[in-house]
Amino acid sequence: MEREIKKQNRLAAGLLLLGLVLALVVMSLPMYSFQAVVYTKKSSNTTVGDEKYQEALAQAQEVLEEYTSQGFQVELSEDVLERTNSKGETTSLVTFTISETQTKNLFSFLGQPFASAHVLRIMLACMILAALCMLAGLAKTSGTLPKYLPKRAKMLRSASGWFSLIALLTVPVFAMMNTYTFSRRIYLYSNDLMQEGKDVLYPQIDRFLFGGSAGDNIDSVLGKLSFDCSWMLWLLMILFFLMLLGAIQIRFGTVKSTLLRGLLYFFIIIVCIVTLYPYYVMLITALRSNAETLDMYFLHIFPSEWKFQNLIDIINRGVPRYLLNSLMVAGGATILAMLCGIPAAYAMARMNFAGKKLFLGFIIMSQMFSPVVLLIGLSQLMTTMHLNDSVLGLMLINAAFNQAFAIWLLRGTFVSISPEMEQAAMIDGCSTMGSMTRVLLPMAAPGIVTALIFVFINAWNEYTISTVLISTSSNRPITVGITQFSSFNMIEWEYLFAASLIATIPVVILFICIEKHLTSGLTSGGVKG
Amino acid sequence: MYTSFNRSKWTPYLWLLPSIALIAIFVIYPIILVFKLSFSEISKSGVVGKFNGFQNYIDAVNLPAFKTVMLNTLIWVIAVVGLSTVIGFIIAMVLNQKFHGRKIARSILVLPWATSLVIQASVWNYIIKYEYGNLNDILLNLGVIKQAVNWRSSFQIEFIWECGVGIFVTIPFVTFCVLAGLQSVDDSLYEAAIMDGAGFWSKLKNVTLPMVRPSLTVSTVLNIIYVFNSFPIIYTMTKGAPANKTDTMITFLYMLSFYDRKKGPATALSVIGFLILCICAGIYMFGVMRKEEK
Repeated sequence: MEREIKKQNRLAAGLLLLGLVLALVVMSLPMYSFQAVVYTKKSSNTTVGDEKYQEALAQAQEVLEEYTSQGFQVELSEDVLERTNSKGETTSLVTFTISETQTKNLFSFLGQPFASAHVLRIMLACMILAALCMLAGLAKTSGTLPKYLPKRAKMLRSASGWFSLIALLTVPVFAMMNTYTFSRRIYLYSNDLMQEGKDVLYPQIDRFLFGGSAGDNIDSVLGKLSFDCSWMLWLLMILFFLMLLGAIQIRFGTVKSTLLRGLLYFFIIIVCIVTLYPYYVMLITALRSNAETLDMYFLHIFPSEWKFQNLIDIINRGVPRYLLNSLMVAGGATILAMLCGIPAAYAMARMNFAGKKLFLGFIIMSQMFSPVVLLIGLSQLMTTMHLNDSVLGLMLINAAFNQAFAIWLLRGTFVSISPEMEQAAMIDGCSTMGSMTRVLLPMAAPGIVTALIFVFINAWNEYTISTVLISTSSNRPITVGITQFSSFNMIEWEYLFAASLIATIPVVILFICIEKHLTSGLTSGGVKG
Repeated sequence: MYTSFNRSKWTPYLWLLPSIALIAIFVIYPIILVFKLSFSEISKSGVVGKFNGFQNYIDAVNLPAFKTVMLNTLIWVIAVVGLSTVIGFIIAMVLNQKFHGRKIARSILVLPWATSLVIQASVWNYIIKYEYGNLNDILLNLGVIKQAVNWRSSFQIEFIWECGVGIFVTIPFVTFCVLAGLQSVDDSLYEAAIMDGAGFWSKLKNVTLPMVRPSLTVSTVLNIIYVFNSFPIIYTMTKGAPANKTDTMITFLYMLSFYDRKKGPATALSVIGFLILCICAGIYMFGVMRKEEK
């Protein structure tokens, strides 16, 4: 038994060390290639092969030789652009370009002041720490099962796994930072889209790529810099993964279950990020200046200046009024829906009568029709009732369209409560009404709150009916009110999202509170009993 | 003779009365109105004329955009309901596992359900803008793409984005319905299945699926109805442009009646939509009633 464990542990440790050594080897191989244009010669009004062309070519080749003799990796390329002049003669514009290609391994980044070099240092430190922790934790305990390990050895083995994980994660971060430095930021600087920091980054890159020899020429050289990252960087990631596997195997014994666990967290994190993404966009855009919302180049992960002023600005644009309208519509609709819904749900849950099924069918049917199909009829109805363009009309419609859900949820709650207590209360002399309000309703409170909040949120978020029925600006609920910030030719995104943010936060918090009750109520509420 | 008014016999109906009245006035009566209007002549200013048979229906079907719109509606409903059911189911399966931070994950994943569709659609509208959208911005800064991508270069792609947003906002509903079903599954069933040597797929097929089928059915049918009726996403993102090519039936009939002032064909389309919904509702009720009887 012990020998077997020892053998397995040695195998896993070997895996980790192999990963480490191979990673170091890979890191010393050329991985990044940079291509910069160091010389261009243009020759116009020529044809390929004529005297003028030869002359320019010779000139270019001279420069090429000069670079080659100094040991640079350079190549010459020519680009021919044909055009016809006003006399009908075809001439060419020939451009000779000498570009220099440099390949760098990861270690050459180490001494540089780039941000990615710090990441590289973390990567190296983690690799070495992982190996050291592993060896220290394995010493004298290599024959022990994971669950009988002394505490310190357990910690050391875990630490080894964590360090490998960090090393693994530094690889994409490193790649991202390099891409950012060498393509995006150079692009922004050389196109004069950004000024700050240019005098810091350019000398750094000059020193890194050309040993400082580019000098003042660096601006034109970097303007056409392109770079390529070899697939070996991702090989490095696989090697780190190998290290991680070794560490996991030693710490927990089974790789499969740990991997599945990791996959689960990975999946959840990805799904959560995607879900949160629009909310993140809403938040940061709401707090940006107008110029920043309409310009891609200056944006970073966060606003360059947090403009809480936006939240104050929208107060003067009618948003408090819209919020009040929404509150009135949603609040009124909720109260009305509850006042009508509770007795109905009670009758459905506690009484027997002919046509019960018919009524169930009736309310389920009414739930089927979103107001859109009925919009024309509804607007006609509102006109005849003189409720067109009024908050009261919206309130009534919302209450009616939420009846089904309210009864649905309430009935489920009532059914799940045993009627014995009410019967006892009735024997003691309570009326039906009394037994309901004094006994049933307090017991059903969680379910009622759920239904209440759900109706409130539905009415709060309603958009379609309001956009048709409400034409006066001061009667708009918030969902319609925010659309005033996105007119046809100009969209004030920061105000749009600032108002959206305010409209979203309260309902989201309410929703999270009832989420658990709601789902079980929705799927089973109507069909229980 | 009303002297024999039986209190206990009439009480239940009295309790139901407010609810019935509310639904009758604001749901049933508009349905009748729409039906009536669909068989009448309606002028551009909305004045209702005399009975004109099926003329409105003929006009509606002969509208140049009718075919595209119906096809779009079909694609929209199938794509959104289908994909969100599959993805929602997978997420529910994962959320049903025990892990650290499950409560937080649940709270995060429910967010799209609680947010107004207009707001969701506006945010996505901003995200995929070509010139300054956040998606291009993030991808550029991360170095994933080297040049800004036009995410909405053609109406087909725009329609796909709209479907994507539709799926995004529909997933939580499916997830949480299925989750409610999954949590009612007795663990002993799984233990028994494992004892019998069942693998992952066989457990899924023989234990999980039959147990969550009721909640999956409820969520799917309700989703068909909601997605069919969904208006704000398409209206906010493209308004059906260009030339009704990204319209579904609901947005189309809205534009038809409130922008183009063609109330006649619009009411006819409403009735057609209503009938389609009736069929869905009928299937749904059949399912519910059958379950009730069990």
